[in-house]
Amino acid sequence: MARTRTNLTRAIVLLALAAVFFITLDLSGSGSTSNVRRAFDTIFAPVEGVARVVTRPLSNAWEAVRQYDEVVDENDRLKEQVALQEGAAVAAAASVRLSQELLALNGLPTLAGINSVTAQVIGETPTNFSQTVEINQGSDSGIKVGMPVLNAAGLIGKVTEVFADRALVMLISDPDYALSVKVVTKSSRTPVTLPPLPTEDAPTVDSVLESTNTSSTSSTSSTTTTILGFTPGTTTIPPEVVAGAGGGSNITVPLASQLAVRETGILEGRGPGTRPIVRFLDASTRGSAIEVGAPIVSAGGSRSLAPPDIVIGVVSRVVERLGTAGPVLEIDLVADLSSLSFLRVLLYQPITESGR
Amino acid sequence: MFERFLRAVASRWFRLVLVVLIVLSVQTTFFAEVRPFGFAVQFIAIFVASVGCTHDVQTGALVGLISGLMYDAVLATPLGISALVFGAIGALAAFLMQPFRDPTWWLRLLAISVVAAFGEVLMPVVKSVVGLGGWLNLRIVGAALVTFFGALVVSAPLMPVSRWTLQERVGRGD
Repeated sequence: MARTRTNLTRAIVLLALAAVFFITLDLSGSGSTSNVRRAFDTIFAPVEGVARVVTRPLSNAWEAVRQYDEVVDENDRLKEQVALQEGAAVAAAASVRLSQELLALNGLPTLAGINSVTAQVIGETPTNFSQTVEINQGSDSGIKVGMPVLNAAGLIGKVTEVFADRALVMLISDPDYALSVKVVTKSSRTPVTLPPLPTEDAPTVDSVLESTNTSSTSSTSSTTTTILGFTPGTTTIPPEVVAGAGGGSNITVPLASQLAVRETGILEGRGPGTRPIVRFLDASTRGSAIEVGAPIVSAGGSRSLAPPDIVIGVVSRVVERLGTAGPVLEIDLVADLSSLSFLRVLLYQPITESGR
Repeated sequence: MFERFLRAVASRWFRLVLVVLIVLSVQTTFFAEVRPFGFAVQFIAIFVASVGCTHDVQTGALVGLISGLMYDAVLATPLGISALVFGAIGALAAFLMQPFRDPTWWLRLLAISVVAAFGEVLMPVVKSVVGLGGWLNLRIVGAALVTFFGALVVSAPLMPVSRWTLQERVGRGD
């Protein structure tokens, strides 16, 4: 009896030390804990699969009882919203395409050049103290740790654990999540309006496109461009944009200093039910006032967790702070994290996560 | 050699691992989806507390450490955090029962619920200690209350399961 108790005590001490050792390893970013998780997953996944099949009817019954009225209301609301959005979506798609063409013309990175994998959410976090979801695609589909995850609305998080046929995604609302972002603010200065130029002095579309590495044909009102990596399309230029055309209307010239200001900061999650915040706004560019409703997009860069210009949300509140600390921005996310279904994993692994 | 393997397979600790696998699968499927007021009932913490309430301090602590390590393996949080928390609640549940010679069923039920709810308070504290802050807020109260009431419902059937899992058989196992 005494021997058994001694053995138990030894086992407790050993396991407690192992727990502390594993915590240290995991927090230092060691890959060995991922191997432990993968090995355990090999045993656990079949058991979990069976449990999922058995418990799914019970979960569905619970959801049906709890959410029936909400689902009916939501369905009506969504039908109305879809009707409203259909027209806007066509215009938005044209704008996005134009924007991608312009970015490609200037040699800037775009999301169009990054492959992605579509995945479905198959599980939520079982604990109250982490914000993760489980998706049904893993390393077999090319997913790696650190890759950004989006839904139809915008960025929702990043991949933190990868198994062969599934992965765990840390949501943007998790307090451990941080990402460099840009706040697109309006310039406080008004653009300068110039009188119309004489026709012979005005730059034509031909002269602008000749300086780029593309083939193009153009007239005064429309131009067709062929850009590597994009489907050719026709871009219609309104007559008033081309100087001298259309009866000599005034030209609004936005100088570089008068374009939208992009302030960079760090977005941090603050747990479920609480809006994420943006801190550490770059002091050198904080001159212009940040307004409620200003869009937040990912900043990109070689060490960033996500490529540039992925939509994240809009500023919902600006909390001014004394001194040089700068304001803290509360963010309304565009993605609804409470009802995630289909997600898109961008096959873009940041340098900081390579090798994991 | 083969005899030793058979003895190991027949031991109560091997049985415990199998039972914890099933408890864990229920936690990651049913209780991950059925979330009263947005909080998940911590079924596995309730199981550990029920083991603590039906056994001694050392058994409670050991079962908590094993279950916690297995739970950590399926979570995205650092490996070992749940192990320390569950080890503590397993030991605490047994410790709470020590003054009572023959505790009544409802006293055990209450102790399991209180200890499991305490685990929900302890978890963010331990996370903060290791540098994973951001969880110490009023949300803890909601999580603890949901686990407390959840434990009142599910701990009654879990107590016989925990007794069966860790029972010693003469001539077999240990």
